[in-house]
Amino acid sequence: MEKILGKTKINEWVAALSDWQVSAPVQEDGIWSYKAASNVQLDHTNTTQPPKGFSFPQREVFFSFEQIKGEPPRLTQKLPQATRHAVFGVRPCDGNGAVRMDKVFGDQFVDNYYQSRRKNVAYVGLACNKPQGINCFCKSVGGSPVSSAGMDVLMTDLGDRYFVSAITETGKALMAAGKSLFSEPSAADQKQVKQTHADAVAQPQRAVKDVSGAPAKLKASFDSPLWEELARSCIGCGACTFLCPTCHCFDINDENISSSPLRGNRVRTWDNCQFPDFTMHTSGHNPRDTLGSRLRQRVSHKFQYFPENFGIPQCTGCGRCVTECSVGIDIVNVVNKVTEHVG
Amino acid sequence: MINLQDIRDTARDLLAKNEVRAVIGYRRGSSGMLAEPVTITKPEQADELVWDPTCFHNLSRNLVEDRKALTRARQNPDLPIAIIAKGCDARSTAVLLQEHYFERKDVYIIGVSCEGTGVVDERKLAAKGIQATDSAFDGDDFVFTTAQGEQRIPAREVMADRCLECREPFPKEHNTALGENKTGRELEAPFTALKRFEEQDAATRWKFWEHQFDRCIRCYACRSVCPMCYCEECVVDSIRFPVSGQTSAEEKGNRIRWIERSAVHSENITYHMTRVLHLAGRCIDCNECERVCPVNIPLRLLNNKMEREAREQFGYEPGASIGGPSLTASFLDKDPGSFIR
Repeated sequence: MEKILGKTKINEWVAALSDWQVSAPVQEDGIWSYKAASNVQLDHTNTTQPPKGFSFPQREVFFSFEQIKGEPPRLTQKLPQATRHAVFGVRPCDGNGAVRMDKVFGDQFVDNYYQSRRKNVAYVGLACNKPQGINCFCKSVGGSPVSSAGMDVLMTDLGDRYFVSAITETGKALMAAGKSLFSEPSAADQKQVKQTHADAVAQPQRAVKDVSGAPAKLKASFDSPLWEELARSCIGCGACTFLCPTCHCFDINDENISSSPLRGNRVRTWDNCQFPDFTMHTSGHNPRDTLGSRLRQRVSHKFQYFPENFGIPQCTGCGRCVTECSVGIDIVNVVNKVTEHVG
Repeated sequence: MINLQDIRDTARDLLAKNEVRAVIGYRRGSSGMLAEPVTITKPEQADELVWDPTCFHNLSRNLVEDRKALTRARQNPDLPIAIIAKGCDARSTAVLLQEHYFERKDVYIIGVSCEGTGVVDERKLAAKGIQATDSAFDGDDFVFTTAQGEQRIPAREVMADRCLECREPFPKEHNTALGENKTGRELEAPFTALKRFEEQDAATRWKFWEHQFDRCIRCYACRSVCPMCYCEECVVDSIRFPVSGQTSAEEKGNRIRWIERSAVHSENITYHMTRVLHLAGRCIDCNECERVCPVNIPLRLLNNKMEREAREQFGYEPGASIGGPSLTASFLDKDPGSFIR
């Protein structure tokens, strides 16, 4: 389904989505973030945090527990409530992020918590007519600034109107909800969207040079001294991975609310391979106790382990980890340096 | 005016004459206009060094990392390590020396004066719509290279707040120093931003902080970038819990976790309050924590508050004296609090 929507009508469409909680990028506190929005503008650069939290929140309660003396322990599962989220303005790199998250939590192992959120999330994407920043490199990792992967709807800005394509059945339903607002695209609209997409793809970007050769070359570089050198100024914070649209590692803890009677929640929280306790063994041994070994893990996961498991790089080229790194650690540069070193 | 060649020559000479084992400075990053920290060990690498308004990083933090690496490797080299230090970086180095994190002979401070300016605030620059590919100092101005050509801007308009309020742009503690000493040149009175914030009533301020802390994603960039946050085990980590074959499941389950992993209201507040209290009398206002926060939490307001308390209550200035007593490890007969006298 392909339609035209006048830019002035976008909020009428949002209003028509009465079954959905609509979120869109909002600029607040100096950053773009996805927030519940009734006034959708879509004049954003990419958001600081990706939309992964809609299906994989930073904190998820699995179940609550209670142990009253003399009684059997009581466990109550807490599956997330079924709020339907329509997320507007998702950039193609983040749509590709969703594709990868879906593989992790729904391919070999089906994660009920992820799935019960995910099936209620619809992504209304917005193609990037030009790169959102200097660190975009989606094209070199198999993406495209006009990719519809992971989207339910893809919109393209044509100046005073959007070219709107339904990608999934959910996308069709979203568009159907606002049907009188949409019009049929003319031949000129079709021509313009084609040209806009071609121009977008032709925009220069940074590039990871050897993505297909990276798995073997990274494997060969496991013991390379380059890792410590490249991580020399790393401060070991977790900004790179917490802001990544595809990082999905988590920790599970019991958070006690009271000890007598014992009552609390078992919770899953995002974890971070850059933190010192991520690989800490109970014996006190830490197999990744240096910054270089942690950088290697982050980069190899994106460009070696994930491709080995799923056939595609995990990185989608959004550039957040580069832009937000306070000391200039640059995954494009790191992969290029390591793969060139192997030759 | 600082001549970059002087910085490079100084670093090259120190390495060539084997007076230091390495120099921590700045080089151009691989993306965009920003400088990044670099550690060089050979004289010929001195030409990599840069000096421009994006040299924000407080490199005394890298001294801490270096010391940790040496401790892990059980090494104690004779030669010192050198750092390029702005006024603020020299002050935090002085605090580290005062706390005996390392000794004076272990570090060679190449002081570089910020003279009449300081570093750029990327957010102020972005707000002006300037997308630069390069930046340079020029007297009281910054010069940015953009797609439209060179753009000259009075530094005051895009400088970091902490630089505007800086009282000590010249690195007092140094082995060698470059540039003019313009101590006392503050372009804005100290604590200007804090005063402006405190014009609001307490309820408004608390609401503001609740909003800010709720936004925290607990990436710990603020802690990780801080030269004063050198604890081997931070209060939020759990890496030192001793486990043996005899440790029971209960003991493991009940190990003390001061702050839970969850990035929720109570835990976020506890994290930030703990950090700010641990920095009282130690934070020298390099404001790296605020710069690196990906979600823009204005941490400087918190740290400034503690800094002003220390100054007004006890006349104490962190980083002013290496040999003097530290704020929280000393006692004053004229302590303003009657409960302690």
